Amino acid sequence: MFNRPLSSSNGHGTEQSRSYGHGELICQEGESSSEMFVIQRGSVRIFKARPAGPGRSSQPPEIELAVLHKGDFFGEMSLLEGLPRDASAQAQGSAEVLVITPGALLVRLRRDPTFAFELLRRLSSRVRSLNARLIAALAEQAGDPLASAQPPLLYATESK
Amino acid sequence: MIIDTQQERLVVVSDLHVGNPYSAASRNLGEFFEDALRRGYNVCINGDGFEILQARFASLAADSVGVLRALRRLVDGGRSVFYVVGNHDIALENFLSAWSGIQITPFLNVTSGDARIRIEHGHLYDPSFVKSPRFYEWMTRAAGPLLHLYPDVYRLWTSYEIGKQRVRSVLRGKREAENVYHDAARMLLRRGFDVVVFGHTHQSEEVVFEPGQRYFNSGNWLRGGTYVEIDRGQVSLRRWGAAV
Repeated sequence: MFNRPLSSSNGHGTEQSRSYGHGELICQEGESSSEMFVIQRGSVRIFKARPAGPGRSSQPPEIELAVLHKGDFFGEMSLLEGLPRDASAQAQGSAEVLVITPGALLVRLRRDPTFAFELLRRLSSRVRSLNARLIAALAEQAGDPLASAQPPLLYATESK
Repeated sequence: MIIDTQQERLVVVSDLHVGNPYSAASRNLGEFFEDALRRGYNVCINGDGFEILQARFASLAADSVGVLRALRRLVDGGRSVFYVVGNHDIALENFLSAWSGIQITPFLNVTSGDARIRIEHGHLYDPSFVKSPRFYEWMTRAAGPLLHLYPDVYRLWTSYEIGKQRVRSVLRGKREAENVYHDAARMLLRRGFDVVVFGHTHQSEEVVFEPGQRYFNSGNWLRGGTYVEIDRGQVSLRRWGAAV
């Protein structure tokens, strides 16, 4: 009686597609939610609010981290850790995203195991990139001239 | 390891089973690769290229030489060669990656023109493989000697799988026969892909789920010689020598 597969109107667990118009926020830095998103159509800008401080009033209020496109995903940190959003996401032009809840992620990983590979690869690449930035920052602190080399962007997508 | 790649022109072949006594690949593939080189196409072998579960080592070694030489000519000619690992060649992963020039990958996300294309062997969606990979491997090895008596033994297995899915659909009261590979392709398409290409089943096919969302199976080179051609985002299923 209880051994039925998870189902919803779209037949893919609790996944659902949502559409956004240009400039609409998909998620906001600091808010609590535990969904992740896969871009099905259009582009999404990821940004953080610039921390307030002396001499920063002339700078843009946001720091753009990346512009993501069809097939890219974001928001996985909040899904995995249950912590507030680390950055905001905003549709660039009209965009459609697949919304995945923690329960739906488990269903997807069972049926689409390569998604786990891609997710882990992204997180691994982010750790590598953070390490590079840490080394660069420490080298800069120590006055090393090599510190000026730009480490890769956190959200960079590798394509060869 | 490369899983994301930009490719304007790529041909995808699968299930070559080089080393299998009935594989047409060792005879015809060299010419096919020459053609790809001449026309400026990169090449993706989408799993089960080399037969290590069912073939004798002597025939695998003998048949591989020509194919490896043809691959070398492609690489020397400046073409990229990708090898997506299938269920018959998992053990060859390290050997092939050590062989310079071939890019080994578990799957490939290709951007071509405006299209995003997923290329994957497809065995991860085979219920029998998922249920027990070791038993599946044992069954595959056991079927090896049968190939010498009846070369189309793989068709018996495919027919068994199709029949099983039909029975399951009837038992669940569904009008259309379930197809695990179509379901898997739909799951992937929801992740922003326009086209999904599998191999594994040996059945070449093209299915349009909805406009702009298609599934291909690149078939096999045991008896046939089908392949998927990607040309600046346009994807088509072809037979070597003629369009399918």
